[in-house]
Amino acid sequence: MIDRINPLAAPVASPVETSPADLVRGAGATASPAAEGADFGAMLSSLASDAIGAVKKAETISLAGVRGDASVQQVVEAVMSAEQTLQSAIAIRDKVVSAYLEISRMSI
Amino acid sequence: MTPVHLFNVISQNNRWLAVRQATIAGNIANANTPGYKALDVEPFAAVMEQTRLTMAATNPAHMTSAGEVKQAAAVGTEQPWEITHSGNSVTLEQELIKAGDVNRAFKLNTSVLKAFHRMLLASAKV
Amino acid sequence: MFDPLQVTLKIGASGLEAQSKRMRVVSENLANAQSTGHTPGADPYTRKTISFESEFDEAMGASFVKVAGIGRNHSPYRVEYSPGHPAADAKGFVKLPNVDVLVEVADMREANRSYEANLQVIKQAREMISMTIDLLRSG
Repeated sequence: MIDRINPLAAPVASPVETSPADLVRGAGATASPAAEGADFGAMLSSLASDAIGAVKKAETISLAGVRGDASVQQVVEAVMSAEQTLQSAIAIRDKVVSAYLEISRMSI
Repeated sequence: MTPVHLFNVISQNNRWLAVRQATIAGNIANANTPGYKALDVEPFAAVMEQTRLTMAATNPAHMTSAGEVKQAAAVGTEQPWEITHSGNSVTLEQELIKAGDVNRAFKLNTSVLKAFHRMLLASAKV
Repeated sequence: MFDPLQVTLKIGASGLEAQSKRMRVVSENLANAQSTGHTPGADPYTRKTISFESEFDEAMGASFVKVAGIGRNHSPYRVEYSPGHPAADAKGFVKLPNVDVLVEVADMREANRSYEANLQVIKQAREMISMTIDLLRSG
């Protein structure tokens, strides 16, 4: 997961195509160190909204599954994808927070 | 962001499924009882509707509990596949198929519940 | 409020008990399919029958099953000509039990099938209970 989190790392083929990974790779490919700040912020916020969106979608499909409108396959896929998206977002958030704390501890 | 509504619906559905399983068990146990007619519960949508009406009546500012859940009652006869000459309308195969369905739905419910619970815990961890 | 899954287990158990009593009756009939009386002209073994009835428990809202009673089947006895037999009457006919082996074997198969179905119900209810408890398990 480190390659997904570090925008400067060369994009490594990942079996899980989640949106945060795409964004990170996109940011890594196009951003230069100077413009990284703006892209990074955008990336984080879209990360959060992606995760929330995936969870909401999973919730809707699960409700449909209980009613009998969605197939077992759909429900399971939606829930799995939500979990993956959420986990990625959490991991990135944790990394970002710890990086920030490290930076703030640096003596000026 | 907490999917409270989903948790409520799933937990209600599980309760309904449990009552349905009990009814199916009664049918299977009485498969050879003369004059016994197979029973089934009313559809889940009807149970949900009743609960929704009850919940809407309370003050929306209250913390939502599970609400007054209408106990799914064993309702009249279903469409039997056949009726024997002793008046018994239970078909073992039909009942076993239903029992399998109930089990599958229950399994899916608990798995989904577990997954969302995990996600909730993971996102709440600092 | 009673736990419907626990009630399901009890219902399944009542079904098992009823079916196994039925099988006992069937095996009694089969074992005594040739049992005649001992004295001349005496009646042989009479085929036993079992009848069920459903018992609706209001408190739990569930239908149990129980054995209503074990009765006797009064279809006519088979008669065989066998003068040397201890149970032979004046004309030399011996009365044999009114047990038809084919009917009994078919009944046994039915009882077995019902038994298996009840077992399946118990297994599934047990599974549902353990799945619910599993929700608390981490991971």
